[in-house]
Amino acid sequence: MSLHRTFTVEELATDDTFRLWVINPTPEIDRHWQQWLQLNPDRAGVAARARELVLAVHDLYKDDLSDEILSQEIAEITRIAEERNIPFYQRAVWRAAAILLLTGGLSWFYYTTHNTITPAGKSTEITLESEMVTRTNQADVEITVLLSDNSVATLSKGSSIKYPRHFSASERRVYLTGEAFFDVAKNPNVPFLVYTNETVTKVLGTSFRIKAFDGDNTEMVAVKTGRVSVYPKKDYEMQHGNARLAGVILNPNQQVVFNRKDKKLEKAVAANTGILAESMLLKDQVFDDQPVTAAFDALGKAYGISIDYDSALLTNCMISAQFKDENLKQRLNAICQAIGAGYDMENGRVMISSKGCN
Amino acid sequence: MNQEENISNGSELNIRLWQRFKAGDSEALGQLAQTHYRALYNYATKFSSDPDFIRDTIQELYLELWERRIFLSETAFVKSYLLKALRHKLIKESIRLKRFHEPQVATFDADLSDPSIETHIIEAEHIRFQNGHLKRIISLLSKRQQEIIYLRFYQNLDNEDIASVMGLGRQSVSNLLYRTLKEIKEIWAPAEFFWVLLVFLS
Repeated sequence: MSLHRTFTVEELATDDTFRLWVINPTPEIDRHWQQWLQLNPDRAGVAARARELVLAVHDLYKDDLSDEILSQEIAEITRIAEERNIPFYQRAVWRAAAILLLTGGLSWFYYTTHNTITPAGKSTEITLESEMVTRTNQADVEITVLLSDNSVATLSKGSSIKYPRHFSASERRVYLTGEAFFDVAKNPNVPFLVYTNETVTKVLGTSFRIKAFDGDNTEMVAVKTGRVSVYPKKDYEMQHGNARLAGVILNPNQQVVFNRKDKKLEKAVAANTGILAESMLLKDQVFDDQPVTAAFDALGKAYGISIDYDSALLTNCMISAQFKDENLKQRLNAICQAIGAGYDMENGRVMISSKGCN
Repeated sequence: MNQEENISNGSELNIRLWQRFKAGDSEALGQLAQTHYRALYNYATKFSSDPDFIRDTIQELYLELWERRIFLSETAFVKSYLLKALRHKLIKESIRLKRFHEPQVATFDADLSDPSIETHIIEAEHIRFQNGHLKRIISLLSKRQQEIIYLRFYQNLDNEDIASVMGLGRQSVSNLLYRTLKEIKEIWAPAEFFWVLLVFLS
């Protein structure tokens, strides 16, 4: 105990048992420090300051993480780790990914005969028609749609998506009829909302699939990883701006079915994991010490998109990577990170920005 | 060979736990993640006010370690390394979102600027006020100074760890910390007399 004799405010305030005594004392620790104070009356002032400092900092910076949330998060990390037990390639850039699926029944062909994507009664929501872009996929293969916030939508055949050329600063809202996979760029301040006929799905930055064809009896949302909130559209619009909505929050491998008849959301464990991928087609790609320009060209070809880059700047950039289940954004992220570049999506094209490689 | 107790202070990892982690035991990852989860969560709240974003980012951090576990050394799970990686991640994400924020700290609590008159012990009353006063002093410091005070006295890191987390030189950290503590001292009138009274009365 005499070792404590020379303690300064800073030393005391960073001493483990002293901190424990101040914040969460046990009888034993309390006895120890009371005794110490009696033996070192000249340090009482220093101890008082140290105590105040510890308390002030603790008060000022504490958070509200509950034990319940904590153990939930640990369980979640353990569970996802279990899922990904196969070591991933070295340059993996993992993003929380959520897959969301709104399934329909038989009526996708209904769509093919009705080519508008704005159902009656929706008109009030769309105020800036002139700014909206509609993409419809009538081909047999998926098409890739690049959104202004660097999010990617992969549109299935017979499906349509409507989105603003530039998202507003407060929210990112798109309308979907049919089926699409979204890989949403993370932005916690600007929620990404997917409107279908009956539901609103809100995410902050994940990836998910939606399948919601007109005339179906049900819609379904299934999550692979990450977090997704699903609301019946009516509830969402009625309570918008008010207190917290009672939507369904989906964690990985959960799904929710919206029954259009009784207008209810029912939560369950996801059955089909085969749909939890960006593309129905396998897009295996291997780049073995190749020029990054070749990788970008191959990527552009595989996804049917334009990737613009300065070929002079990138001449010295080489890349080794393999892709199998990764999304377009994951591939772009991995390649760009490897060569220290960045990218943006503008007017439906990917623009690579780089300072070159040595 | 039981080093179980070492896991809690983060300076050394339990050997068996580490081996299980390396071998791909996800429960071991869970245990490792548990150790500093609170510290990471708290630090992240100074950069973002969105709990979902924070939880996702920490989850991502641990899963990245999981995927690179073959290449990792034990130091990856030392508190200051995790804090550094998390800080980097949070700032990188902010840059990507073009919304760079310096660490944000809690604003001064209104209830402490307005101490209750019903407090039964006048000394305790005084301490509460002083404590509020100190809080106000700290919250008026620059963001950088606040972060250093936070890392030193909330996360209880030493100067070297603070330098590593904030990406500063060790000397800059000790200069900045010295200067900050001096600034605090100059305007902080501590309630030591009353506090001592309280201690001896209790």
